Amino acid sequence: MAAIEVRDLTLTYRQGEPSVVQALAGVTLSVQAGEFVSVVGRSGTGKTTLLHAVGLLVRPTSGRVVLDGVDTTALSDHERASFRGGRIGFVLRRHGLLPALTVLENVMLPLRYAPIGTRRGRRARELLDLVGLAGHVDDRPDQLTVGQAQRAAIARALIKAPALVLADEPTADVDDETSDELLYLLQQLNRTSGVTLVVATDDPDVASCLDRVIRLRDGRVVSDQRLRVDRKRPG
Amino acid sequence: MEIFRNIAARRLRSTLTGGGVAAGILALTVTGALAEHFQAQFAGGVRYFSSNIQVADDAGGYAAVVSLGKIAAIQQVPGVAVALPSITVLARPGAAGPLLGLPDTIVYADPREHAYSTLRTAIAEGRQLRPDAQGEVVLGAGLAGKLGARVGDRLDLPVRPGNANPDFVSHPFIVVGIQRRTDTLPDATAQVGLLDAQLLLQESLPASFRDRVDPSSLASAITVYGKSGVDLDRLADRISASVPGVVATRPTDFVRSFDQSATFVAVAVGAALLGLLFGAVLVVGTMLAAVAERQPEIGLKIAFGARRWHIVAEYLFEAALLGLAGGLAGFVVGAGLAELLDLAGRGIGMDVFEVSGRLAELAVGLAVALGAGAGLVPAVRAARVDPDLALRLL
Repeated sequence: MAAIEVRDLTLTYRQGEPSVVQALAGVTLSVQAGEFVSVVGRSGTGKTTLLHAVGLLVRPTSGRVVLDGVDTTALSDHERASFRGGRIGFVLRRHGLLPALTVLENVMLPLRYAPIGTRRGRRARELLDLVGLAGHVDDRPDQLTVGQAQRAAIARALIKAPALVLADEPTADVDDETSDELLYLLQQLNRTSGVTLVVATDDPDVASCLDRVIRLRDGRVVSDQRLRVDRKRPG
Repeated sequence: MEIFRNIAARRLRSTLTGGGVAAGILALTVTGALAEHFQAQFAGGVRYFSSNIQVADDAGGYAAVVSLGKIAAIQQVPGVAVALPSITVLARPGAAGPLLGLPDTIVYADPREHAYSTLRTAIAEGRQLRPDAQGEVVLGAGLAGKLGARVGDRLDLPVRPGNANPDFVSHPFIVVGIQRRTDTLPDATAQVGLLDAQLLLQESLPASFRDRVDPSSLASAITVYGKSGVDLDRLADRISASVPGVVATRPTDFVRSFDQSATFVAVAVGAALLGLLFGAVLVVGTMLAAVAERQPEIGLKIAFGARRWHIVAEYLFEAALLGLAGGLAGFVVGAGLAELLDLAGRGIGMDVFEVSGRLAELAVGLAVALGAGAGLVPAVRAARVDPDLALRLL
């Protein structure tokens, strides 16, 4: 069973009558469980929109998004929130750590919206250890480097042990060295935990480092190429 | 914790908003304390005058005087339990009376009234009057404070006004007791014995009239208590109809004539509404700004599984917290201001603020409700944030 099954997905934004923007124009793709996939394309080609549609953050205009065999098109808003909260993790372009919270609190943030029984501070500390931030649990986001903040954001995405992580340009604002570190970290997480990872990026170098490259142009899939790359530990 | 830090992070805006709420609650506390004081006063009056009938002379003119000879006739009216003389004379004639509330009075109340009256008093210092007392006075707590009198002090009553007439007479009294504060009628009284009260009543009458009356036959009014289960309004009508020369006022009419508590409540509510409206506008503005500025955060929380009601609850809680902080500050400052004004005004009879526990609950409760109420629209707006668009703002 595919982790992600997208069929004929279209999404149109209205930008004031009568102007409309077609962000996705009939996207069809399938991602198997445990794959490490990049969605690549220039800015404005629909990468973020595709991730948001797969992440159930926006309802498509038409088409279907099937996740782990569940057709999400028919789900209510409440069911979509439950599905999203329980099975999908997000890493965003800018880390999106809340400035009012410590690093540990930021990592635990998704647990706030989970059933009481699943609140696990211990797992948050383990994840911070895993991403190399064990010494920064009580720091505020503004005390971290951009790379450290992005690693904290990766830990946050994993806190509920999701089956799917969607990363929207996670290396956009970092230098090459940090970019390599982050990609290595994501790859290790993919390899060790089997989480399905979809990374949107406009950087061809980043895309070429992943197992599979899905190229978008004008809201359409123009190529779908499978690779197998094992990254070496940076440095 | 996040909400506390968010409020702290936007210190100036939070302080201004909390200050707005505080200003409203301060106004509510001060006017509310005023209303509480007078409500307590009126409540005592209402309780007392609802339980008996006040009978006066029907002659008009100096109708503040009634002959004690009428008591026997009133006592014969079916339904009357007891008819007792009562005397009231101004304690500080010529002095500017209080702007609102009760004037200071010298009173005589028959000791038998204790068995019937609903208004209970107790001695805080000294002792009660002896039945045959002369030259002794028991002061209410409020009047004692105003006169600076203590047990054992000598006091001239009535208090001589600055512009006293040449024939003004006062008499020396020894303060033998001070009553416990009741926050109502007895606080503004000086209780004296019957003979002293009759003398003072006679001397308060115009010269042309006072020499023609026998002070021992005088009272200001006759206070009538009915037997158990008797309708006092109807009994008052029966007294007026069957005893010549007197008029008995129905208790319900009497109470209506002096009870201004509704006015005070209206003033307090009006001030509170104005103040709270001001605070509410500030809270709405602050929370709308917070929602606009934190859209990416909201999108992020929705992405992590927050339901709409989670977002509503977080913003409502933050708004309520602003209300609580402002409310507590406003109440503390308002209560302190009321206390200071009381201290300053005590000497001139302006001890008029009563900060009660009920007022504290009302002020803080209203502030929290105001915060939450004013935060409702911004909270709902926050919950409607489109995560797809909001996350692009990161």
